[in-house]
Amino acid sequence: MLELRPILSALWRHKISALLIALQLGLTLAIVSNALVVIDERTERISRPTGVAVEDINTFGYLAIPKDYDKFEAFRLDLDMIRALPGVASATISNHVPLSGSGSSSGFYTEPNMEVGATAANFYTVDEHFIEALGMNLVAGRGFSPEEIMQVGATSSERPTVAVVTQRLADEMFPQGNALGNAIFRGGDDHPIEIVGIVERNLGPWPNSPIAGRGVFYPAIMDQWFTYIVRAEPGQRDAVLKLVEEKLAERDPNRVINSDTLEEQKDQYYAGDNTMVKVLTAVVILLTFIVALGVVGLTVFWITQRQKQIGVRRALGATRTAISRYFLLENLIIATTGILLGFAAAQIFNGFLVSEFNQPALPLTVTLACALALLGVSLAAALLPALRAANISPATATRSV
Amino acid sequence: MLKMHNIRKSYRTDTIETHALRDFSLEVNEGEFVSVTGPSGSGKTTFLNIAGLLETPTGGQYLLDGEDVSSLNDNQRSRLRNEKIGFIFQGFNLIPDLNLFDNIDVPLRYRGFNAKERKKRIEKVLEQVGLSARARHLPAQLSGGQQQRVAIARALAGEPRFLLADEPTGNLDSLMARQVMELLEFINEWGTTIVMVTHDPDLARRAHRNIQVVDGQVSDLQRTAAPTAVEIA
Repeated sequence: MLELRPILSALWRHKISALLIALQLGLTLAIVSNALVVIDERTERISRPTGVAVEDINTFGYLAIPKDYDKFEAFRLDLDMIRALPGVASATISNHVPLSGSGSSSGFYTEPNMEVGATAANFYTVDEHFIEALGMNLVAGRGFSPEEIMQVGATSSERPTVAVVTQRLADEMFPQGNALGNAIFRGGDDHPIEIVGIVERNLGPWPNSPIAGRGVFYPAIMDQWFTYIVRAEPGQRDAVLKLVEEKLAERDPNRVINSDTLEEQKDQYYAGDNTMVKVLTAVVILLTFIVALGVVGLTVFWITQRQKQIGVRRALGATRTAISRYFLLENLIIATTGILLGFAAAQIFNGFLVSEFNQPALPLTVTLACALALLGVSLAAALLPALRAANISPATATRSV
Repeated sequence: MLKMHNIRKSYRTDTIETHALRDFSLEVNEGEFVSVTGPSGSGKTTFLNIAGLLETPTGGQYLLDGEDVSSLNDNQRSRLRNEKIGFIFQGFNLIPDLNLFDNIDVPLRYRGFNAKERKKRIEKVLEQVGLSARARHLPAQLSGGQQQRVAIARALAGEPRFLLADEPTGNLDSLMARQVMELLEFINEWGTTIVMVTHDPDLARRAHRNIQVVDGQVSDLQRTAAPTAVEIA
């Protein structure tokens, strides 16, 4: 038979210590549920599809030592050489690398000479191999032909006439779905750039920015900003990185080569998010552990304090199960009180985080799941002491000490 | 009611084995009031613990109300304690966090009575011990004598056939001790078998029979009062 009323009476007589544990549980629930939402949001952000073959791509740049270095000629020779190397699936040259945290953006319009209402988007200058080299998926239209690729120097005024855009940009600028074949205008001028192709996705150089996913690719090679993007055959990335480095240095030793994997650049970009996830995960684990320790400590303390009382209860007919059940029920009452307080605290705390720090809203289901998990932790923490309490001999009742 | 034959109880540590009871044999008839005396360490409390199913004997046979309880498991012993035995402890052993009503309620809850039945029984026994007006008081708000009366009420509430009292007046002054003893005698007159462990020779003499325990064995049996009707039968 449940001893709810006697337990409540006993708890009322020890309300401070019971309330402290309840508050600890409540506070843990408020922090843990909010932390889990942030962890979930950051994890989702890190793991969302990028639109490019991150795990297979290496990037290479160089700094030429001679002042009159012919970069365009070097690009041609380098890329021809790279594409012929074993393990290389494709290679392109681009002004920026996706997911790297370094890029260019501009405002685009659907009409010429507009000054307000631009759609901000990242833009890249690339050669005709860019779709394959980045591992993107062309969903409409075409890529670029070799003849369309312009060489854009420091003083060049030539502007592209065609572009490939991402699906997101196409959908946002042309909600009717007629982006292909239509023109966009950059920065309020009257020069039309025809959309000849649409790729499924490209998060761009700043995946955490509001313009992530809006991308425009121009058929152009710039000698001021350039990086070779080399996609290796699956599983060949590291070997290709080493090989391309060697061959670039071998082909022309008058330059300083730098290289990186796209995965490392992505990791660097998301370092803050990753750190946040790790720190918050540690906080969640630590808080849960501390609250479990608190429950164990209080239960053990109360059992030690009430050893004689347990013996008396056993003498009066309590079975071992009844004794364990008593302490588990007592724990359940404390935990439920704490969790109810924590439920409210979690929502208030989340309201503050949403309004002040633009953090994600806390769904009730998450708080509920956390509450149930904490309840489980609390009961599990109390289980062993409760089982030990059941082993107290009924003969304790007749002992004078 | 209670029949012990060659009961042995020993406690073993890493280095020493202590024989608390040795070939302890005793028979207590229904309706009897038996006092148990003996020097400290003689085995009185061990006898009481075994008689009350609080401990199991190392050997021997123990029949309680005709049932061999030597081989019962823990749950069966708990149930039997609850149904057939009432305990009165020297230190009262009331639960300090619970008021008198809830203290008396403890064994009744384990018995599985419904709330109405429990309330009826609690009110009845509180009336019997003259503490009806104090039902919502905490033990700490009562005198020692009143606390022992509550403990007696708790022992009686389940209407046990067998009452075990461990130094029931040990913590009381002489006036309160006399009142408690009178209450026990009154309970016995109503048919409850009582075994009382005591150091007090005056109290021991008030029982029907006095058992002297020395070195874990019954050393002397003295008739101190007229035998009960049950015993004659």
